[in-house]
Amino acid sequence: MSNGEMNPDTIRVLAEQHGLKRALEKFPDGVKGAAERGLRPVDAMPAGNSPITNPAPVFNPEQYERGK
Amino acid sequence: MTDLAWLSVAEGAQLLRSRKLSPVEWTKALLDRISVVDPAYNAFLVVTADKALAQAKAAEAEIAGGKHRGPMHGVPYAAKDIFDVAGMATTCHSKIRKHHRAAADAFTIRKMQEAGAILLGKLALHEFATGGPAFDLPWPPARNPWNRDLHPGGSSSGSGAALAAGLAPAALGTDTGGSVRNPATCCGIVGMKPTYGMVSLSGVFPLTYSLDHVGPMTRTVEDNAILLHALAGHDVEDPTMSQRPMADCLKDMKAGIKGMKIGVIEHFYTKDSPADPDQVRGIESAIEILKKLGAEVRTIQVSPLSLWTDCNRTIHASEAYAIHERDLQERPEGFAMLTRNRILAGAFVSSAKYIKAQQLRRALCKEMAEATRGLDAVITLSSLLLPCKIDDTPEVLKTYDQQCRLVFNVTGTPAISVPTGLSKSGMPLAMQIAAHAFDEPAVYRIAHAYCEAAGTIITADPKTQPRLVAAPRTAAAE
Repeated sequence: MSNGEMNPDTIRVLAEQHGLKRALEKFPDGVKGAAERGLRPVDAMPAGNSPITNPAPVFNPEQYERGK
Repeated sequence: MTDLAWLSVAEGAQLLRSRKLSPVEWTKALLDRISVVDPAYNAFLVVTADKALAQAKAAEAEIAGGKHRGPMHGVPYAAKDIFDVAGMATTCHSKIRKHHRAAADAFTIRKMQEAGAILLGKLALHEFATGGPAFDLPWPPARNPWNRDLHPGGSSSGSGAALAAGLAPAALGTDTGGSVRNPATCCGIVGMKPTYGMVSLSGVFPLTYSLDHVGPMTRTVEDNAILLHALAGHDVEDPTMSQRPMADCLKDMKAGIKGMKIGVIEHFYTKDSPADPDQVRGIESAIEILKKLGAEVRTIQVSPLSLWTDCNRTIHASEAYAIHERDLQERPEGFAMLTRNRILAGAFVSSAKYIKAQQLRRALCKEMAEATRGLDAVITLSSLLLPCKIDDTPEVLKTYDQQCRLVFNVTGTPAISVPTGLSKSGMPLAMQIAAHAFDEPAVYRIAHAYCEAAGTIITADPKTQPRLVAAPRTAAAE
C-alpha cells in the first residue's frame, strides 16, 4: 500500500463499518477512490504551528444567550 | 433604448424609477428570450413566468403610485435551485430532491421580495453544489454561452450561463470552494463571495456549513454591489451571521484607486501550480492597468496552494458527508457519479483529520492576515486552467483542483472574480480581487476601477457578448 493503493479487504471492512455496503456493491471503484482520498493525511501545518498551538473551532456559550 | 437582454441592473433601475421602462416590459422581454435562447444552454431548471409577471405588475403599480423601494425594485433576477422558494421544489439539481416542496422562502429570497425584485425562475447547478456537470440526472447540465461544448464552471453553472446569455441581469449563487467565482470566471461575468456571516444561509441547502457563502452574480461590478446590498442584513435564525452592519459599497466605488496598496499572490499560479499562459497574461496585463490607475502593487507570499486546498477539501468532505450520509448508505444510486464520488470521501475522514484541518484553517487565516497587513487588497488568479470540454470528466475534475478560489473560503474574506479579457481561443479569462473581512467596499472599488479601465465587461455592445447559437436538435435528448 506504499503507493497509495488500498487492499480490497481493507476497503470492504471500512465501507461496511460506515454502512456503505450497498454503495460498495454498486460502485466499487467510486468507494475505493473515495477511501483513498479520505484517508490521505492532512499536510504539515505552516512553520511555527502545531496541533497544540491552534485549538479547533472555539466553542462560545455566550452566543446562545443573545437576545435574553 | 438598450436591448433589454443586456440592460444592467443600474441602467434598468434608473429607467424604472423614471418610468421610462416598465417592470412588466423588462420581465416579458426576458421571459421571451429565455424560451428562445435557453434550450441551447439549459441555464433554467424552472421558469416561474406567471409568478414573475404578477410580481412585475405589482412593482409597476407601486412605482406608478410613487412608492419606489430602491435599486432592485422591478428588476428581474433568478436563483440557483438551492434557495428555498415557498411552495416550489428546491431540487438542488438532484433526483433525490425532485419532489421536495419548500415550506417557506429562504431569508435571501425574502430580502429580494422586500426589495421588489422579480423572480424569473430557478437555475441549474452541479448536484448539491458539488461534483460537476452530470449527464446522469433528470435535467441536463448548463452550457457555457461562449462555447456550449465547454464547461461553464460550477457549481452555480446556471447562474453564470443565464447572465452571459442575456437571460437575467442578476442571479444568486452559492460558494463553498469557488462556486460563484468559477462560473463567473468561465462565463465572463462578475461573481462575489462576500465575507462569511454577511449574507444569511437560512433556507439555502447546505454543502459545507463552515465554508458556505451566498454570493451575488451580475454582469457589472456596480450591479454586483447593488445586489449584495439587497441580500445582506442580519438574520437572527442563522447562527453563522455577523452582527456587524454592512459598509456602504457604492459610496466610494467610483473614487479611483490612486494610492491603494495591492498585494499579488503570484506563487500560486507561477510556482505552486503553473497556470495556463493565457490566464497569466490576463492577470499580468491587469497588474499593469492597476499600476497605471495609481495603485501600489507588490508580490506577497503565503503557504503553498496545495495546503489551502488540503484544508478546504478535508472540511468540505467531512461536513458534506454528514449531510448526505443516510442517502449514501441507503440509495447511493440516487446521486450522479461525480457527486457521489466526491461526497463519499468524507466517510473515510477521521475526526482527528477533521480537527487538524480546522487547526490548519486557523493557522492559514492568521498567516493571510499577517501577509496582508498594511495592504488594501490582494489579487491572484481565479482558475489556473481554461474551460475544458463539458463531457471530459478527468479534465473537469482537474479544473476543480487547479484553482485559487478556495483560499478565500478558508479565510472567509471577500473575493470577487472579474474578467481580464479573452484567451486566444476566445474564452473568458479572470482574476480575483480579495480584501480583509468586511472590507467589500475595497474589493468593489478596485474591481470597478479595473473593469472600467480594461473594458472587459459584457455590455449591450454586441462586440463584448458571446456569440450565441440556436438550440441543437439533440438538446432535448440529453
